[in-house]
Amino acid sequence: MVDTNFKMSFKVRAAKKEDCKDISRMIMELAVYEKMPDQVNISHKELERDGFSPNPFYECLIAEVSDENKTKDGYTIVGYALYFYTYSTWKGRSVFMEDLYVMPDFRGKGIGKGLMAKVAQIGVEKQCVRLQFSVLEWNKPSLDFYVAKGAEDLTAKEGWHFFRFDGQALHQLAKEAPED
Amino acid sequence: MDFSIRTATLEDCKDIARMILELAEYEKVLDQVKVTQKDLEQDGFIKNPFFHGIVAEVPEEHRTIEGHIKVGYALYFYSYSSWKGRAVYMEDLYVMPDFRGMGIGKALMSKVAQLGLAAGCSQLNFTVLDWNKPSLDFYLSQGCTDITASIGYHCLRCEGDKLEQLAKGSA
Repeated sequence: MVDTNFKMSFKVRAAKKEDCKDISRMIMELAVYEKMPDQVNISHKELERDGFSPNPFYECLIAEVSDENKTKDGYTIVGYALYFYTYSTWKGRSVFMEDLYVMPDFRGKGIGKGLMAKVAQIGVEKQCVRLQFSVLEWNKPSLDFYVAKGAEDLTAKEGWHFFRFDGQALHQLAKEAPED
Repeated sequence: MDFSIRTATLEDCKDIARMILELAEYEKVLDQVKVTQKDLEQDGFIKNPFFHGIVAEVPEEHRTIEGHIKVGYALYFYSYSSWKGRAVYMEDLYVMPDFRGMGIGKALMSKVAQLGLAAGCSQLNFTVLDWNKPSLDFYLSQGCTDITASIGYHCLRCEGDKLEQLAKGSA
C-alpha cells in the first residue's frame, strides 16, 4: 500500500514503442473506471502501429516512478496522456487530449497535473492556441480537476454537442460518396 | 445542378478562407475568426498537415454573383480513440446558402466518411451547436448519434492565458 503522504518523485517523458503494452494496460484500467471495459477494441499492437509511424495518429506521454515505488504488480509506469493535433478554422492549431490517467494509488501527487501541463507545453511550443478534451458529465472529480486548471465546459456554456457516425451508419454514409 | 467534389489544393485556401468567414457569420461568431488564408496554406500543406480539405465546385454557368465556383467545403483531420483506434474528425462542413438542398453537403460528408474508412478509421466525429436545428436535423437523419445527449459527453477547453499558465505548470 503506497503512503499517500510520502512525497514521491516522478518523471514525465515521451512514450516509446516499447511502452505500448503499459499504455494498453492503463487504457483498460481507465475504461473500467469509466464503466465501459467491453468497449475497448484496440490492443498494444494498434497503438504501436498508429503512434510510431512517419505520420502518427497520436502522441503519448507517460509518467514513471522509480523502482522502489513500483506497484505491487511491478509496474513503474503509472500514468499517461494520449493526445493529437487538431485544427480550429477560427483559431488555428490546437491539441486534443484524448486520455489522461493516473493509477489510483498514485493520485494526489501532482502526476495528473504534470502530464496535462506537459501536453499544454508541447502544444504551445507547436503554436497551438487551444487544448481541448472531453469529460463525461457524471465524472465530478475530473470535471472539478479540469475547471480548477482553467478549463471551460463548452457543452454547458455554449451548447456544443458531440456527434458520431460509426458501424453501419458510417459505412452507409461512405457508400453514398460521389465517384472521383 | 451538377457539382464535383475534389481534394483541396493550396490554391483553394483563398476560397476556403472566404467560406470559413461565411460559416462563422452563420454561427454568429464572425469576430472570433483569427485564421487567415496564409495560416491555411501553412498548416494544411506541410509534411504532417494539421488538417485536410475537400471542396465542392459547380460549373461556370452556375457561378455565384461574385463569380465563385467553389461553393462548399469540408475540413477534417485524423484523430485517435484509445478504445477504437483511428478516427476522423470533421471540423467544418459548409455549403453556400444558394447551393443548399442539392445534395452537396451530403456529398461532402460522405466523401469524408469514405476517405476516413479508406484510412482505416472506425468513427467520424464532429460537433454541432444545440441551437442549430437545421444542422442537427440533417445529421440525425443521416444516422449519427448525439454522444452528448446519450452518454453525457462534455467538450472542455483551455485557451489563452489559462493555457499559457497550464503550460508553465503554475495553474
